[in-house]
Amino acid sequence: FTSKTLISPKNPIFLHPHLSRISTASMASFERFVDMYDPRLKPKFLRNLLSEYVPNEKQPVTNFLSLPKVVSTIATHKLLSESPLASTEQKLQNKSNSAVDDCVDRLMTLISSDMPDKCWVGICLLGVTCQECSSDRFFASYSVWFNCLLSHIKNPASSRIVRVASCTSISDLLTRLSRFSNTKKDAVSHAAKVILPIIKLLDEDPSEALWESILHLLSTVVILFPAAFHSNYDKVEAAIAAKIFSAKTSSNMLKKFAHFLALLPKANKGDEASWSLMMQKLLISINVHLNNFFQGLEEETKGKKALQRLTPPGKDSPSPLGGLNGGLDDASWNSEQLIATRVSALMFCCSTMLTSSNRSKVNIPVGSLLSLVERLLAVNGSLPQAMSPFMTGIQQELVCLELPTLHSSALELLRATINSIRSQLLPYAAYVVRLVSSYFRKCSLPELKIKLYSVTTTLLKSMGVGMAMQLAQEVVTNASVDLDPTIVEGFDAVSTKTPLLTNRALLQAGTKKRKHSTKSAVEAENSAFEVGLPHNHSNSPISLKIAALEALETLLTIGGALGSDSWRERVDKLLMTTATNACVGRWANAGTYHCLPNKSTTDLVEIQLAALGAFLASLVSPSRVRPTFLAEGLELFRTGKFQAEMKVAGFCAHALMALEVVIHPRALPLDGLPSLSDRFPESSSLASQKQNTPNLNKLNGIAHNGDDLFNRWLAKADTPSNSEIQRTSDMTLPLQETKRLKLGNDLATVVSPSVQDHTDMVVASENVQEADVPEKVSESTVETLGHGSDKDAMVPKEGEDSAVKDSLMEEAGVVTKRESLGESDDDSVPSLQADDFLSSDSDIES
Amino acid sequence: QSENSSLLPSFSEEDREIDMEISIIASSFIDGEIGSWDLKTGKALLKFKPCASPAHGLTAVGDKFLAASQLKASGSSGSIFFWSWNKPQVEVRSFPKEPILALTANSEGTYIVGGGKSGEIYLWEVATGKLLKKWHGHFQSVTCLVFSGDDSLLVSGSGDGSVKVWSLIRLFDDLQRQKGSTHEHYFTEHTMSVTDIVIDYGGCNALIVSASEDRTCKVWSLAKGKLLRSIVFPSAINALALDPCGSVFYAGGRDSKIYIGAMNATSDHCTKVLGSISEESKAITCLAYCAEGNLLLSGSEDGKICVWDPKTRHPVRTFDHGKGPVSNIQVVRKTFVTNLNKTLSSWKRNGASLPPPLEKFEKPEEDGIVIVDPPPFSDVPVYSSYLSADLIDEQVRELQQQGSAATEIEMERLKLEYKKSLQMNDQWQKNYENLLQVVMELQNGVTN
Repeated sequence: FTSKTLISPKNPIFLHPHLSRISTASMASFERFVDMYDPRLKPKFLRNLLSEYVPNEKQPVTNFLSLPKVVSTIATHKLLSESPLASTEQKLQNKSNSAVDDCVDRLMTLISSDMPDKCWVGICLLGVTCQECSSDRFFASYSVWFNCLLSHIKNPASSRIVRVASCTSISDLLTRLSRFSNTKKDAVSHAAKVILPIIKLLDEDPSEALWESILHLLSTVVILFPAAFHSNYDKVEAAIAAKIFSAKTSSNMLKKFAHFLALLPKANKGDEASWSLMMQKLLISINVHLNNFFQGLEEETKGKKALQRLTPPGKDSPSPLGGLNGGLDDASWNSEQLIATRVSALMFCCSTMLTSSNRSKVNIPVGSLLSLVERLLAVNGSLPQAMSPFMTGIQQELVCLELPTLHSSALELLRATINSIRSQLLPYAAYVVRLVSSYFRKCSLPELKIKLYSVTTTLLKSMGVGMAMQLAQEVVTNASVDLDPTIVEGFDAVSTKTPLLTNRALLQAGTKKRKHSTKSAVEAENSAFEVGLPHNHSNSPISLKIAALEALETLLTIGGALGSDSWRERVDKLLMTTATNACVGRWANAGTYHCLPNKSTTDLVEIQLAALGAFLASLVSPSRVRPTFLAEGLELFRTGKFQAEMKVAGFCAHALMALEVVIHPRALPLDGLPSLSDRFPESSSLASQKQNTPNLNKLNGIAHNGDDLFNRWLAKADTPSNSEIQRTSDMTLPLQETKRLKLGNDLATVVSPSVQDHTDMVVASENVQEADVPEKVSESTVETLGHGSDKDAMVPKEGEDSAVKDSLMEEAGVVTKRESLGESDDDSVPSLQADDFLSSDSDIES
Repeated sequence: QSENSSLLPSFSEEDREIDMEISIIASSFIDGEIGSWDLKTGKALLKFKPCASPAHGLTAVGDKFLAASQLKASGSSGSIFFWSWNKPQVEVRSFPKEPILALTANSEGTYIVGGGKSGEIYLWEVATGKLLKKWHGHFQSVTCLVFSGDDSLLVSGSGDGSVKVWSLIRLFDDLQRQKGSTHEHYFTEHTMSVTDIVIDYGGCNALIVSASEDRTCKVWSLAKGKLLRSIVFPSAINALALDPCGSVFYAGGRDSKIYIGAMNATSDHCTKVLGSISEESKAITCLAYCAEGNLLLSGSEDGKICVWDPKTRHPVRTFDHGKGPVSNIQVVRKTFVTNLNKTLSSWKRNGASLPPPLEKFEKPEEDGIVIVDPPPFSDVPVYSSYLSADLIDEQVRELQQQGSAATEIEMERLKLEYKKSLQMNDQWQKNYENLLQVVMELQNGVTN
């Protein structure tokens, strides 16, 4: 056997897989390879795959399960690529070509087989071949492959799985074809051939799997070869509309059809007129449906007005969607549920049209879109006084059941509208703000509120500071309610459950003792009820909280500085509490959650990320005072950094980096630019002279104590300023002074030890308090350190415990914080003043 | 012949490059032209003419086209001209109600704002040319207009020395407008005409710097709406440019010096000088900052444009604009898409059709339609994804799930049906037998 296979290794088909394995093994032992990247391996791999896993025309298909393995092997090792090698490797190239030739031949025989299963395997693998094979091979044979696949779609006898596979494979073939820029014309004519057959299939075959692959193929053609639709545009539109209006289409498919319908205008030369026409048709259809649906729930003039606006008098109204009667008088017309899903699908289609990118200008009917949204959101199921006799209770019940779906689609449409027109929303912005604010007041379903938050976020992001001014109050008020930690919901139920339970137990115990006290019994009942409730809807509030946190984060990002007088303090506190609640005590839980492959872990991580993100925003967002909860934040992020959950840990590390600038504000010297102290020599006051010298002395004194920490601190604080002194003196001072300074511009010389006087220190610290202008923090920290120690008569002595100094440092930080709190408004401007002092001092010294 | 070597291989996204060309455009007060130069190479590009635009009267509208307000020497009427990027002639001429001094557009290029001689401010929609809003901004002419970083606020400076901050959303909100004042902030500390305004990258906490003929530059806080600092210069300041990454701005003086101002300066006086253009004191008339490469551009009264490296404080390059004083300099970024063998440029294509002229009057009726331009690079080919491999996986998974819920339910149903039909069969059998019996009995009866 061995010798035989060795002699004729070209023969790929062995009688039995087992034998083939033996032969491969023996070949391997005969022929050695460099490593797993050796190109000589490729043809061998391919032949083995063919012989072992791909069925041939003689044997029945037994093992479908190995197919994914075949595909992944081909993709991993690029078995079909026939990569052009150096010409010296001609022999190898021939080998590899012939292996691929054999493979393609095998697939073609499979495709022409009568057995649907073999045919299916062949077609699927041909699709993979289209993706993987070399450009030369593809270019040479795509036409043959295409016709072969198309014949299966056209053939009425072919089975469903074969058709599904054919559609997918043709789609892949066209995708590959679109990358050849020199065959556009031929490609379009090929693509045009598939349209009618698959539209016919769409009408005839009720299988959803087939519909799906047909839609995929249609989408591919629309995106890559829009010209292929040409004269069939109306037919396609009609076929798709018929499916959307059909009562048999499942809601899942409805969405897919709607998505494709949104892409369709690209096919009609992709011009703005076809886009507008489609949008107009959709809006008319939606409004007509709503007129029926909302009968008795709103004034009839509303619907009439909406339609009038869409078809202004004097202009022809377009033919209804799909060219038919828009499915208006079919039997399903009376089913509220059907109308609602249909309207949702149409609105989804509008949203997709708005958000999918267009190649040309489009006229977006913002007025109609917004009034449609307003119309939908206005109906809440209540009956206007005058209307009540016209509606039965059952009708109202059915409508109310479907209203949330409609409201949700309306909010989605609103978001898409804002998204698509971005800055040009300006003339309508105030109207949208009122719409959103009023709906915030009405809306109580979590699902809708989440959507509403996302609308708000989009508004803030697209319109910026001006929008933040308008929406801040609304966002803050609502998010405060939704994030209120005292309301027991979802997650919080876990932590607050125990005290409540004991509470209740106590109360019940009390009632047992005093049986006549009915009042406390009622209370006990109530508290029991509160504990039980949260479990019913523990999932939605978490996502609601995440949405609220995201909205707050966006607000802080866009307009954090605006709320300094009003809402900022409240939001900062709220976010601190929320982040702490979401994280502390739950770090540990995360570990145990990991064992369970369920959703609760992701929920936990998501809310932690959202809470931490919003908290970071509140710490970093500009404000007039130092962030109040900076210490809490740093500690929280530090702990978070050690969590096993890498996303959270990663975010915490990022947060610490972002906060580093807050704790060590940088006033780095501007590269190459002169210093910014534009001080005339005479303007330097006496106070500022005294302010610095003693402090520097003090620093030196502390440093001499041999404290490592302080040495480092000193180094950090001084390096930039030291170098800046030089620059300052170089550039700002009159020539004489510069010269003088250069004689001894070392810091040590500047700080002469002669002024080391206790009274001076006191003066300095007082000056700090009185100073109008804030200091660079490193500087001011140091100064207040001196101040604190003076006051408490705790001047650090030699040999003193470093822990004391640590606490001093902390204290100093706190003092600084307070100080800047009380300080003038100027602190929003990062000041480089410390350097100014230094330079002016050096004048005097020298 | 399929081995044709001219055949393009399947190119992927990496082969497509998006390239940016940075150029500067400059115009003059005196009848002349708009010059443009490539900043990298220094090559002179197209000249657009004729143009005589006042300071702050030249703007690139997004990367779509070029707009400049025109002042006639007679002074009673003015116009606004549009040029597309690839044609030197004026393509669209608009004639607003009064001469427009300051002209600016938001970064997307969807709105143009103009400040009139009377102090009125006009806001036009670019796509339709509609005058969307007109409001009274200042008591005297509007000298400069600047959008905030996110385009939601507008800062205007006037000849009467006032600086105002407007929220565009509020301007369009008629309800709120009726309630109270329309502006967000109103700064009146300048004593003479405001010549230039810049706003930094601080978002809602941004700093605004204004320059004035009163020899001061003032730093304002947007969030607080008040004056932070006032810096006195030795000469009147004509132009400002902002160093985006430091709290530093450059101020072009009438005494030909470029001063370096610090927003957080501690003193009231500024003496730091970056450099001066010429010995004979020709005033600096405009400044611009190019973030790419950190370059400062200055234009002066004698028609010279100078490119400075602020770090070394030396001029890098000079351009000659013409005789007249340079009234405007702007840095323009245009993006290209380079494919393997052809170069597409989105701005060239968009420039092919310019919008209609700007309208003179506000029109009350509103049709509720907004024209939205395609996003940049929408004409770049899209690639859809391959699906065959996924289909195989999916269908094989379905096969593997045999015996799972769906199949089992079906099986049970079939079993049940089978049982039913068996019973039915029995029933029929019985009926048949009964009938047969009856027939037999009848037959027997008949024969008997």
